Amino acid sequence: MQKSKRILIGKVGLDGHDNGIRIVSKWLADAGFEVIYLGLYNTPDGVVKAVLQEHADIIGCSFLGGEHLFYCRKLLALLRQQGLEDKKLVVGGVVPPDDVKVLKEMGVSAIFTPGTMRDTILRKVNELLEED
Amino acid sequence: MKVIGKIEYDRYLKGERLPHFRTLSGIEMKEFYDRGDIAQDPSNPGTFPFTRGVYPDMYRGRLWTRRQQSGFGSPLESNHLIHFLLSKGMTGLNIDFDIPTKLGLDPDHPLAEGDVGLVGTSMATIEDMETLFQGIPLDKVSSTLIVNPPYSAIIMAMYYLVAKKQGVDASKLIGTIMNCAITQLVGPTYQSGTHFFPLDPAIKIACDVMEYCLQHSPRWNILNVNPRNIRESGVNAVQEVAFAFCLAKEYIRRLLDRGLEIDRFAPRIAFFASVHIDFLEEIAKLRTMRRIWAHLMKDTFGAKDPRSWMCRIAVQTSSLPLTAQQPFNNIVRAAIQTLAAVLGGCQSVHTTSYDEGYALPTEEAQVLAIRTQQVIAYETGVCRTADPLGGSYTIEKLTDELEGRVLNLMDVIEKKGGFLECFKSQWIEEQLNEARYEYGRQLEEGELIQIGVNMEREEEEELKINIFRQTSDMQEKRIRYIRDYKQSRNGVQIKRVLDKLYHHVRHHPDENFLPAILEAVEHKATLGEISDTLREAYDFKVHYV
Repeated sequence: MQKSKRILIGKVGLDGHDNGIRIVSKWLADAGFEVIYLGLYNTPDGVVKAVLQEHADIIGCSFLGGEHLFYCRKLLALLRQQGLEDKKLVVGGVVPPDDVKVLKEMGVSAIFTPGTMRDTILRKVNELLEED
Repeated sequence: MKVIGKIEYDRYLKGERLPHFRTLSGIEMKEFYDRGDIAQDPSNPGTFPFTRGVYPDMYRGRLWTRRQQSGFGSPLESNHLIHFLLSKGMTGLNIDFDIPTKLGLDPDHPLAEGDVGLVGTSMATIEDMETLFQGIPLDKVSSTLIVNPPYSAIIMAMYYLVAKKQGVDASKLIGTIMNCAITQLVGPTYQSGTHFFPLDPAIKIACDVMEYCLQHSPRWNILNVNPRNIRESGVNAVQEVAFAFCLAKEYIRRLLDRGLEIDRFAPRIAFFASVHIDFLEEIAKLRTMRRIWAHLMKDTFGAKDPRSWMCRIAVQTSSLPLTAQQPFNNIVRAAIQTLAAVLGGCQSVHTTSYDEGYALPTEEAQVLAIRTQQVIAYETGVCRTADPLGGSYTIEKLTDELEGRVLNLMDVIEKKGGFLECFKSQWIEEQLNEARYEYGRQLEEGELIQIGVNMEREEEEELKINIFRQTSDMQEKRIRYIRDYKQSRNGVQIKRVLDKLYHHVRHHPDENFLPAILEAVEHKATLGEISDTLREAYDFKVHYV
């Protein structure tokens, strides 16, 4: 079944770099997604609460300061605790190749590093929606 | 074996062409420029309005300072890094603090734990500052302290106390506190400037720092508005300069309101600009900055001391043109950007490292950045004469053109009530976002070319560079350190100094808070505790779920 095209986007932790996440939010919105933009300085708890309230299927977070492992681990654990394993976590930002592997093993559905083109992102996000 | 892509012979037959002839800020360039394009010959270097440089001899007198931004993990690790870089040819310090420090949170704050020490050094106690500057004489090495108010007041207090312990008189301190409330974190985005501290009190405290430093440290730079961070949030060269100067005017007006004379403080204000990859435009931009600033200081603010007219510019080469793809290309880009900074006549340079797209720079990447600057300084010959491009039809015309555009935009901002008003109404935020969307569009549509990204891209590229790694228990150790530190102190005394600060802010909101903050730091109150006290005194709570 095709899920709703609602996607929750936000920065988690204290990193305030938001060029990329703003551009990607715009691309998604232009492509017909309903983007709920949470802005900066979200906690993992806050994001999970928002997922419950907003009924989003995909969560997009970006990290540019090296905090990706710490926060993704927390986010995924919280989602599991809430029985929200079916929600897909997508990550963008500055992530070294070794950590891309670690994030994937951890359960992050997609990682978009700098220089990823718009179509690659849209294609992947659409694929995630179609997956059961 | 790798399959080589189809060779496009057509491309060679037709000859390659650029997609267009516009600069990054949208100036359409002509086929060529000639005498008719130049309004007048620029005045000599070292003379008003300093288009050709603030000193008559420029780099013949002294080279620019090689000032690489450094700091990560604990203060001790950062101290080792600073010593290493100084031994490798760095000539000035540029200390970056981690985000919790720049947001006034101790490492043990629930919001801080995941970010401790990641992109700068963690700094919470007077002891931390002593460790950071162990073996570094504060009267002999100039330091830039990258921190925003109100936390700049606490960091400055720590720095003063360390100087005192080293036996260095406050009047001998050389360096800069960045001290800008709006641009210092990640550029002028609304949330980053307002989420952890109320904006107007932050600006008030910035002015306290400036006033205090002017009184005690005549060689210390009190404010460095950060056009670089403005630029890195996606805007163009015109917006970078116009936003920065309009913001600087806000601080100047506030210092004048305190009864300070313009010539008392203007010579101690400087700028930290970006240099992007658009070589000619960026050179012209630095020249434009000096010219506009000189007129602004002399004509608008009535400054009489020539030092007040001089726009001194530190540069960090922009990260925006650097790519994660084919990272060695970044070495070339950064060298070209550094050359532009030098031909533009700046006072110090941080050359951004080629591994920027992956993590903090490795030591080898940082040394390469220093070597890049040394090759330009000592081998290329561009420093043999001041402003070697002065009088070039193209450079002079671009300088004039940018000047006109910057002045127009400054006028727009002033008519809207000034930079702060535009920031608070989120007009600035709209400008940033529009610029970002436009950047994304240009990259997608090939109007903006990035080699390795939208041209000559190699799919499944294998990364061949080393990547910086933090030690695995760094954050845990810092959190443990601050907990132990807090327990080891005399709690009654801490409460007393913090209460005193609280009452000072509540009952004497217009007085300078620096003396009370100094006292709190001296009695071992931490950065987070002092920040919380200030927040409480302003009835401000950090909102989080």
